[in-house]
Formats: sequence, C-alpha cells, structure tokens
Amino acid sequence: MTAILKKPAFLASAEARAVLALFLVFLLGLIFNGDGAFLQAGTHRDALRQASVTGILACGMTVVILAGGIDLAAGSILAFSAISFSIFAIWWAWLPFLAIVAAIGCGLACGVVSGSLTSGLRIQPFIATLAMMVFARGLAKSISGGVKVSTSLPNADGTYHSIQLPAIFRQIDSRFAGDNISVVTLIFLMCAALCWVLLSRHRFGQYVYAVGGNEEAARLSGVPVGMTKIAAYAISGAMAAIAGICQAAQEQQGDPEAGSGYELTAIAMVVIGGTSLTGGRGGVGLTLLGTVIIGYLEKILSINAVPEANRLMLTGVIIVLAVLTQRRGGRGA
Amino acid sequence: MRKLEVGMIAVLMMLSGCGGASTVKTGEKSKTHWKVGMSQCNLGEPWRVQMNSDIRTAAAAFPDMEVIFKDAQNDTLKQRSHIEEFVSAKVDLLLVSPNEAQPLTEPVAKAHAAGIPVIVLDRALMGEQFTTFIGADNRKIGQAAGQWIVSKTGGKGDVVELKGLMTSIPAQDRDAGFREAIRGAGLTIVFEADMKWLEAQARKEMESALARFPKIDVVYAHNDPGAHGAYLASKAAGREKQMLFVSIDALPQEGQSYVRDGIVNATFLYPTGGKEAIYTARQILQGQSVPRKITLQSRVFTKENVDRGGDPIELK
Amino acid sequence: MTPLPLVRMKDIRKQFGPTAVLTDACLDIFPGEVHILAGENGAGKSTLIKILAGVYQDWEGEVEYFGNARRLRSTEEARRIGVSVIHQELSLVPGMTLAENLFLGRNRTRFGLVRRREQRQAALGWLAKVGLAADPDSPVDHLPLAAQQLLEIAKALLGDARVIVMDEPTSALSASDVNRLFGLIDQLKKEGRGIVYITHKMEEIERLADRITVLRDGAWIGTKMAAELPVRELIRWMVGREVNQVTTREHVPVGEERLRLERFSVRGRGGQEIIRNVSLTVSKGEIVGLAGLQGSGVTELLEGLFGSFGDATSGKIWVNKQLVNIRSTRNAMRNRLALVTADRKSKGLNLEGSIIHNVIIAALPSLSPWGWRRRSTEREATDRQVRALRLKAPSLHSAAWQLSGGNQQKVVLARWLLTTPHVLLLDEPTRGVDVGAKEEIYRLIQQWTQEGMAILLNSTDLPELLALSDRILVLHRGEVTASLQRAEANPEKILAAAMGRLGTQ
Repeated sequence: MTAILKKPAFLASAEARAVLALFLVFLLGLIFNGDGAFLQAGTHRDALRQASVTGILACGMTVVILAGGIDLAAGSILAFSAISFSIFAIWWAWLPFLAIVAAIGCGLACGVVSGSLTSGLRIQPFIATLAMMVFARGLAKSISGGVKVSTSLPNADGTYHSIQLPAIFRQIDSRFAGDNISVVTLIFLMCAALCWVLLSRHRFGQYVYAVGGNEEAARLSGVPVGMTKIAAYAISGAMAAIAGICQAAQEQQGDPEAGSGYELTAIAMVVIGGTSLTGGRGGVGLTLLGTVIIGYLEKILSINAVPEANRLMLTGVIIVLAVLTQRRGGRGA
Repeated sequence: MRKLEVGMIAVLMMLSGCGGASTVKTGEKSKTHWKVGMSQCNLGEPWRVQMNSDIRTAAAAFPDMEVIFKDAQNDTLKQRSHIEEFVSAKVDLLLVSPNEAQPLTEPVAKAHAAGIPVIVLDRALMGEQFTTFIGADNRKIGQAAGQWIVSKTGGKGDVVELKGLMTSIPAQDRDAGFREAIRGAGLTIVFEADMKWLEAQARKEMESALARFPKIDVVYAHNDPGAHGAYLASKAAGREKQMLFVSIDALPQEGQSYVRDGIVNATFLYPTGGKEAIYTARQILQGQSVPRKITLQSRVFTKENVDRGGDPIELK
Repeated sequence: MTPLPLVRMKDIRKQFGPTAVLTDACLDIFPGEVHILAGENGAGKSTLIKILAGVYQDWEGEVEYFGNARRLRSTEEARRIGVSVIHQELSLVPGMTLAENLFLGRNRTRFGLVRRREQRQAALGWLAKVGLAADPDSPVDHLPLAAQQLLEIAKALLGDARVIVMDEPTSALSASDVNRLFGLIDQLKKEGRGIVYITHKMEEIERLADRITVLRDGAWIGTKMAAELPVRELIRWMVGREVNQVTTREHVPVGEERLRLERFSVRGRGGQEIIRNVSLTVSKGEIVGLAGLQGSGVTELLEGLFGSFGDATSGKIWVNKQLVNIRSTRNAMRNRLALVTADRKSKGLNLEGSIIHNVIIAALPSLSPWGWRRRSTEREATDRQVRALRLKAPSLHSAAWQLSGGNQQKVVLARWLLTTPHVLLLDEPTRGVDVGAKEEIYRLIQQWTQEGMAILLNSTDLPELLALSDRILVLHRGEVTASLQRAEANPEKILAAAMGRLGTQ
C-alpha cells in the first residue's frame, strides 16, 4: 500500500502537492483551451474573479476547520449580509463605508451566535451551523420581504421605477492595473492575507491550531478554548459578509437566494488545498491554492461549454483525485 | 448528545415549517363572504412572489373575498397536506399552483369531488378532476422571442443561449420554442450553457462565451436575471453595445426595469395569471361557467412600449 | 480426586510490538472456586484475561477450555463455549431495554422476528436469579451502576457461562451493593461455576478468595490456596524484586510552604466523590509522592487541583501561603501551578503541531505582548528548553507525532517549565518512556527541586516513587490511607495501604 502510494521527496509538503495539482489543472486548460480562450488574459482575470467570492468564504472556513469545526452557515450568512448591504446602501442610501461596516457587523454577529452555540451550549458544529444556515436564510428573506433588493422600487400603483445605483457597487465590481485584475480578487487576496496574519502571526492562530489539534490538551494548557472557537466562527461570519458585499456588488442587487451551496464549494476549496477536515493541520495559504484550483477547473469546464451533467460528474472525479494527491504518506494515511 | 440532536432537528423542522399561512382580510364580512385557499408551491422564485402579490392585489378590490395563502416551500408532500387542510377548512374555492403534476393530481381530485371548485395555475395536473387551468405557454413565448430576434437581426448572427435549469419543463419549452422559431434563419447558437436560473452563474458562463467568441450578436436568456448577468459580463468586456439582450418573464422589478434602463432590449412576459385567477374565481363562485383551459397571453416589452405596459404578441 | 479444571492456561506469552507484556503466565480455574488474580498495575492481568476471552489472537502458549486445547478467534466464540467476562466498562447498549440487552445476540426469534413477549417472560426469571428487581422493559440507562452490573452477570448466566471473569466489579458500588454481589458470587460458586476475580482491595480478597494467583511484570509468580497465603506474603509476591535503586535522591533543604490543601474533595460527572477530604502540604524543594492503584483517584486529585474539574471541587487551597480559588486551568496557571498529564496523547500534546507550537502554547500570553507573536523569542525560548532537557528532534518544526515517547514527554515538560511554575504536578511522568529518557527525567526532577520548585508526583512505578519522593501519601478510593516518610516507606507498606489496609502509618 505505502509502497505504491509512496510520494517522491519533493512532494513532502502539502503546499508542494497543491501546487502540483494546480499545475495539472493548468495543463488541462492548455490542452482543452476552448479555441484559444484559455490563452487570453481576460479569461484568467475572470476565473480568479469568479472564484473570489467563494474564496473569501473559504478563508473564513479555513479558520473554523482548523479549530476543529465546520461552518455550514457561510452561504446563508453571505445572503443575509448581501441583503443587509443592499438595504443600507440602496434603500437607505447610507455612506458606502457605513453600509460596508454594518453589513460586516451583521455577518460577524451571526458567526458569534454559531460559535456560542457550539462552545457555550456544546451543540455539535454541524448541527449548530446547520441551524444558523436555515435561520440566516430566513432572516435574509424576512428583511428583504422575499424579493431581491435592487434599484427598481415599487410605485403605489404596482408599477416600478428605478433609482440610481450607488457608486460603491460599480467600484467593487471594477478592475485596475490596466483592466487586468478585478477589485473583487484584490479583496479576496486581502482577506486571505488577513486570515494568514491572524493564523500565523497572532497568538490567536496558535490557539486555533491547538484547539483543532487536541481540544482537551489545549484546555489543560490554559488555552481559552471557548473564546477561540467563538472568534473562529465570528471570523468566518465576517468573511461571509465580505463575500456577500462582493456578491451584491456583482449582481447590482441583494438576492435572498444568493450563495446557497457556496459553503460546500468553500469546504471543497479548503480540503483540496490540503487542510485537514479533522482540524489542527493546514493553513490559509493552502486554501488560496485550493481556491485557484477550483476556480480554474470551473473556468475550463465553462469555456469548453461542457454540458451540466458531465460537469458535475467531472467535478466529482477531480475533487476525489485532488484529495488523493493531497493525502500524505505518513502517519495513518 | 443524541437527545440534543433530536431536539435541534425538531427546532429546524419548526423553523422551516412555519411561515406557512398568512391571511389577507379584505373589508367587512358581508353575507356572501367567500373564503379562497391559495396553495403556492414555493416562494423562492420572484415570479411566484409576484403571482401571490397579483392575487392579493386583485382580491383586495373585492371586500367579500378572503384569500388564505400557503407556501409549500418546494415540498410536494407539504403542498398535498396544505390542500387537504383547505378542504377540511371548507374553503369555497381552491387555487393551486402545483409543485409536481403526478403526486398532486389525486389530492386535487378529492377536493374537486368534495364539491370545491379548483383553479389550477401555471403548471398543469393530470386528468380532468379540476374546474379550470390558467397558464401561459412557455413554448409559444420562446417562439415569440425567437421570431422577435429573427426580425431584429434580419435572421443573421451568432447567438448565446443561457438556459434555465434544463431538467425543468419551462426551460425545456423556452428552449424548444426558440429553436423552432429560428430554424431556417441564418442564426447560429454558438454557445449554450445551463445557468440554472441564477444570475451569478449566467455571468460566469457569459464571460466564458465572451472569451471564446469575438463576435456575439444576440444573448437569449431564459429569465431576466440571466440576461442581467450576461449584460454585466459584456459591459465589463466593453462589448455590451455590440449585442441584443432578450429575456423571458418580464417581471416589473426585473425585466421591465432592465428594459427601461436600457440593459435588456426585449423581455417577454410570462404572466402569473394572478389577476385572471381572481376574476375566474368570482365567475365560478357567482355560478357562471368558465372554459376548462385559459391560456394567458404574453406581452413583449421594449424601450418604446414599456411605459405603456408593453404590446401583445402575435405569433407568425 | 481433584476435579478437572474448567480452564487451564499455560506458559502464555504476549508481546505488544517490541515489549513483552506477558512471559510465562499461568492460570487454572476449577469449578466452584473464586480465583483471585492479583498483581500491581501493569502486571499483565488484563492482557491475560483478554487472551482467555478471545480478544487477542496473536499469543503463544496453550489454553485448554473444558479439557480441549483451542485458540479462540473472537469474544463471541468465548461466550458461546461458556466463558464470560464482565469488564469494568460495562458493555450494555444504552437506549435498549433490560430484556433487549439480556438477549442481545441470542434473541429468541420466529421467522427472524424477535419474540418480545417470550423474551420478557424469560428475562423476569433471569433477573430474579441475580436478585435484580427491575422492569425488563425499562431502558438500561436509568439503572444504577450496581443494577447494571447484576444485569451483566445475568447476561453471562443466560449464556450458561461456566467461567465468569469479573474485573474490579466493585469499583463503583456502594457497600450494600457489594454485599449483594458477594452473595450472588457465593451462589454461583455453589452451582459449580468458576469465578476469576480481579481486585486491588485486600478486604475483598480476604472475603472471597479460595485460591490466589499473582502475576508480576507479566510472569506467573505463584498460585496458592488463600488460607495458605498470608497477607504479608501476598504483598511480597506482588512487589517481588528487591527494590533496585533507580536513582538517588540528593538532599535538598526543604524551604517554605508552596502548596497546602485542606479537606480537598473532587466530585465526578455523576456527582460521586472521587477524592474525599485530602489534606497535604508541599514545600519548596520537596517532592511529595502520591501512590494509589487504579481507581484510587490520584489523577483526578491532580487534575482537580489544576482546575480541570471546574466547580466540582471543594476544600481550601493555599499557594505560597495565599488562599486561592482555582476554578479553571487558567486560574491554576495564574497561581503558578503546572500539570504534566498522565496521558500525553489525549491530554498533553497537539500531535499535529510542531515542537515550537507545543512548547510555547501555555506560555504564549507572556511571549506575545498585545497578541502579536515574536517568532524569534519563541524559537529562542523553545531552543533553550530543548537544550536543557536534551530533547532530540530533527528540527524545532518537526511535528510532535514524529518524536519518540521520551522526547514527546520532554516537549510537555518544556511547555510547563516555560511558565516558570512554583508547584509542578507530575502525573506518571515516565509512562511509556524508554530507560535512558527515564534517567534523564529523574535527573531533571531533582534539579528542579534544587531550583526551588515544589513537586507533587504520581507514579504507579513503585521503585521510581520510592527513589524520588521525600514523603509519600497513599490513596485508596479517594482517601489518604497512609502518609509515609522517605525513611519508613517501602513497597509492602504502600501496597497494603493502597489496597485499603489502614493503620500502617
């Protein structure tokens, strides 16, 4: 078994394996290049932009998974924050800065509740965040009245009129550096950097790894286990909110149905990067690679206009292959 | 722990189960007070929210009518029990927009057999055990969209088709009707993708199409958000002025607004039938006879006619 | 004529990896006797029983069941031929009823369907036999522990077990329940069944034993009729070897008091007292040893003192002559306490984490002002400890799971030294550690006392405990049964006190 699956020395680290997987996906793109579409700069910019929203979710998800949890509510919190942001910015015409901060606050609050349910009331993360997933989706529908929050507003007689879209929407959904990088991608990179700093340069990160690696040992070493978990879910909630703002900006409206199923893509990104679902091992750098892998994969399938049924099957196969490459040869694997 | 899980699941079920019934009380109770039950299959789609709102608005004009709404949240079995609840609550008339035909045919037939008139909306049921069916024809609307595109382009050009969830009947009909209409003309569908009715997905697919094809003349999307997403993608590529955007549904706050804002060139109404349902219901309750099938007419909305409510379409 | 033995185990050898846990162990079980299996912790009693019950298959030697030599392939097979083991952790299925548990695996069925009414009727009979008055249809979860134990015995009887092994069955029972159990054992004996009984309690040996077999370090020491084996001799058999000096304790002048406990008690999850009214003091430079057999509560005493049991403790604690209130591990650390847990893997290390991560985690608040880590400071601090403890590892970034047991233990020790504790609680600091590393840890412990630390040491390795401790407290069922000065302590006294023999002080 180990003899067959023995890995060459240069693949000793999870990072190296993720880079290899990315390289293989890239190769796939070069072969099936969709009549040269893959060779255009715009394709790469768009692939990265498309992956950015789920990538932001994946950053927060990484923190939670490293702490030994899971956040199924991320997609719903995205919708709730997208709705909040749209209401603040479009309906109430708040200052963009204020609307952004308030929307992030909404996501953060949801995360704090998820975290408190798991650490305070000792509900399993899967169940607690499942409850939050349903609840936040309901919240999104309830404050939006079940419809999209957009610039067309109803008149008294049932017809609609349009108002000006706040500039912040277009600003977030724009590009820079000679039209080559999307602002959303930049936001994603900043989120990843923020999570990286917290995880590897701040005391909190060591607590996250300790709790995810061995909760009991962490507790007996004086690690504030409860606060660490709550903070992890709060970060995930805040990231979901940032993703929600980006999503709203790209759709130019808040959709209460937005982001459903995104949490699963985010989890796939985390796992394909090489972070262990059991917690304590991995990092946000790996998730960055996982995000790009999935992003490119989706793009390649899309430019080749692969039918939906085949896409689903191919994606399933590729996820399994990627996770197999990620499996390490050492202990217990 | 296990008890806790059971408890949590119970709470979740309550969460997802509540929000069912809401009542609109209209005016004073008169001697002829009619209670109408409306069973909606889900309120996740804006179009169905619009249908309920159309029904509500139409019913508000009649103080002797009360409509009770129930939302089955895409759950066929839940809708079945909603119908049974209406029967035991002895409503005077039942409006049903069914989730699925086969499993809901029998409960509706039972209600009908119990002497309750039933108006089926949007999606058809099997057999004859209901009073009337009110709905639009997706195939014809797709055809109308195709004919409009042929006439605008002179029958030449490259088309991107952004399809709704292709396992759903409306998407299949909108696709088939469209293809029938453009057959023989010089239009070619160069790129087609299933965007599952989702704006974000439509935008992704459109970006791929833009990367692949330097020339795109028409984007035909199966719903309004699909066309909106495609427009945003094309605008980001600076190519939105080179193509026509055509969509279906023409919801007031979506398609019609997009037409007004110059985002979408034409959108075709997929009428909810809410208003017609209330009018037909009154006819039935007042003892008049109604046709077994009422096919709703679509309308086309363009920049020129949007402010006067669009124009009826005529199929060639 | 002597009757034939029910079971005869001869020259049993068993290895776990490179370490031999049983070498030439023997055990005979005759009908109608209670056979006590005695020995210190780790003597190999449990392993021998597991071989008897078919849990392990890879052993050498010979076992005869009812006159036929055979090797069992599963516990199920053991049960089928009439050998039943009642483990300390009961094997009842929570959520199922008494009757369902009783008939689990041998349901009475017709066409594959369980005949519930018939089972219920039969269950009533079996429950009556073991003196358990309970409704067969009630779930087992609500039964008190003693009743669950009786149900286990009923299960064994139902399978017509001719050999019944009980592994410390009274550890959680009250005195009256114990009497009931003993009555039942007498009855089983009369029916000609063979009972193997494992216990650490002298009073139980005196009450029950017909014959006694002693194991020590995996080897058979002897078997004698209980009447012919006086307590002194039994203890000598168990302790055996002349205590070879593992290390020498250098004299350290005892300074002022560091830790004082008064009437300290710890309650377990179920509310029962695991530790009852323990009082002790430890002074600067002193090592106080804690001795106790399995279930004595020493580990819980240390963890309770360290705040791990939260509010479930009572009594008074003074650290450095200050009365303190310890309700969490953070409280304990703030009062300069440190605990090296017995179970490294489940309670000590983050095996995925690097050496640096594991070493700095407890001292992190002081190493990272304002929360921001100073990686060079962390590395230097870790490096200093690694050198001082002579921890061997390829790099400071190696994961903990890559290290040997001894080096893993040094990682845990390094973590706590970094917090500069005044009182160090050591729970089995040399368990699973090779001989070389053991010696080093002994040296280090000595060195720390010279630097002024006060140490509370729990070890089930008696020679180690005797060599290191200045004083030894012996616990039995959560209470102190002896307090011995270094000069007067010997294995016999400790073992007698640990088995509940009072009056040895």
